[in-house]
Amino acid sequence: MKLKLIYSRENLGKPVLSDVISKTNLPINILEAKITLNTGEMLIDVPAVGEKLKEVSNLFQKAGLVVKEITRTIEIDREKCISCGACVSPCPVRAITQDLNWDVDFDEQKCVGCGICVDACPVRAIRML
Amino acid sequence: MSEERGIEKIRTYEEINQKIKSGDAVVLTADEFIKAVEESGLEKAAKEVDVVTTGTFGAMCSSGAFINFGHSEPPIKMFKCWLNDVPAYKGLAAVDCYIGATAMSETKGFEYGGGDVIEDLVSGKEIELRAEAYGTDCYPRRSIETTLTINDLNQAILLNPRNAYERYNAATNSTDKILYTYMGTLLPHYGNITYCGAGQLSPLYKDKGFETIGIGTRIFLGGGIGYIIGEGTQHNPQNQFGTIMVRGDLKQMNARYLRGATYNKYGTTLYVGVGIPIPIINERVAASAALRDDEIFTNILDYGVPSRSRPTVKKASYAELKSGKVQINQKEIPSSSLSSNKVAKEIALTLKNWIEQGTFLLNRPAELIPNHREFKPLEVKGKEPKVRDVMTREIIVGKPNDDIKDVARILIAKGVDHLPIVDNEGKLIGIITSWDLAKAVAQDKRQLHEIMTLKVVSAKEDESIDTVIRRMEQHNISGVPVVDQSDHIIGILTTDDISRKLVRRIIA
Repeated sequence: MKLKLIYSRENLGKPVLSDVISKTNLPINILEAKITLNTGEMLIDVPAVGEKLKEVSNLFQKAGLVVKEITRTIEIDREKCISCGACVSPCPVRAITQDLNWDVDFDEQKCVGCGICVDACPVRAIRML
Repeated sequence: MSEERGIEKIRTYEEINQKIKSGDAVVLTADEFIKAVEESGLEKAAKEVDVVTTGTFGAMCSSGAFINFGHSEPPIKMFKCWLNDVPAYKGLAAVDCYIGATAMSETKGFEYGGGDVIEDLVSGKEIELRAEAYGTDCYPRRSIETTLTINDLNQAILLNPRNAYERYNAATNSTDKILYTYMGTLLPHYGNITYCGAGQLSPLYKDKGFETIGIGTRIFLGGGIGYIIGEGTQHNPQNQFGTIMVRGDLKQMNARYLRGATYNKYGTTLYVGVGIPIPIINERVAASAALRDDEIFTNILDYGVPSRSRPTVKKASYAELKSGKVQINQKEIPSSSLSSNKVAKEIALTLKNWIEQGTFLLNRPAELIPNHREFKPLEVKGKEPKVRDVMTREIIVGKPNDDIKDVARILIAKGVDHLPIVDNEGKLIGIITSWDLAKAVAQDKRQLHEIMTLKVVSAKEDESIDTVIRRMEQHNISGVPVVDQSDHIIGILTTDDISRKLVRRIIA
């Protein structure tokens, strides 16, 4: 499950993520991070479900972070899509592929929501959610 | 070629059309014909198959439509006109215009262009027409604002000067920046490869000797019937970069095969569906129609080099490109298409159905398209300023072990913002800006090598100013050291130099 962590000014400078990793022993992966002096946002991938995921989420919340579960990132409008492939090879995490009929497949699990595909689509068939 | 080009040795156009009319014609898509040849051999397949259909659906910037609006009361001689805010060419008679695919909306820019106007017209959508005039004795009206649909127009003729490239160079990017090009989004460090063209379905590659393709050839165009009216611009058949000029009635077309599009940070365009029937008139044509993706090659070029001659990174077959990964320097690079292989197949199949139903006959071209054309670049006459003409030659350089405070004093005294760092031989090894110095003082650093940037963006003295300006924009920097072939520093070019020396020159 991907989580978006929103840091406020108070919790910047604290090793929140390291604490959670050492407490849960989970190999949490940082997909994207934007941290400035005042605010911060981080997209992480937590390899856990159910109770374990809840535990991780609670730990972040206790540390004062706002936690959002990211279940959906982009949407492809199949009516507009021309199955060209312009979004496929630019996807840095290979979340977009084409099948044998050249139809575009999208793997939500892999997507990190970077938005490169949105700009790459020549017929504006992809939008960020 | 030993025999006459276009010789009808296996069958004639009349024989083919007879069979189409009686429902006996054997028509295969290029994909199917390849299989037939693999199964029964070229000679037998060529004897059995009358027509091979092809298809492609890609961005074709040299596309547009001639439109005649009809006359208003009182009438107007339109001098400028816009369709949904996209300017159309008005160097024609009073109410004729040409709307080009790459023209962009004056209010929406990249978001909407001539290609979108054409798609919206074909979809039957209402279009806003705005026009201005100077008023004449015969055409008194000075402006017009109204709405229209394709049904209101006298003529809406798609006329594309260059379509259906036989094949196209593929693209990759060696630089450390993401590039937005007419070949799509190119990730840094050879992060991906994009390609165009339908390979073994590509209409012009299926008759690469141009033995059946010519003026008057009836084709699938944008979902309707169109005609080839000649070679396309930049037609370069001897290098398998042939092109065609096509014409068709927009009113018969289908927006599934004519789609307005935008290449991010490049511009607007039109995806055009083209399908050509290849009559198997002789064995050379059959051999060309039977070419497979693994026999059709193209070069992968480095679009990181913004020059008309981009270096070739690798030669690859369409089979390799279509597989989704290409090996470069022992690394597997993801590749994907910009033209739609899915719709290309659909077009070849649709054209096959039309012929089988007896509604689409083939014509013998009035004249074949040339199979040889000189391909010329544009030489710029007159002198354009190069880096050497604008750069500052009196440069202040630093050494890695120089004291930061001493250097700061010199920079302030001389009023410069960039300090190239050189080794003992004068070779460029780093750079420091006044901003780096401010930070260094704040962090209590002492020597230049502690703070210098090692990866220096530089320029050569014979480069064009525009190329270097673009490079500075991409890296968000305001100056570049100029080096010779062996990396020795010979000058520096800053945005200050450009604005002072160049702008003054233009004004003068």
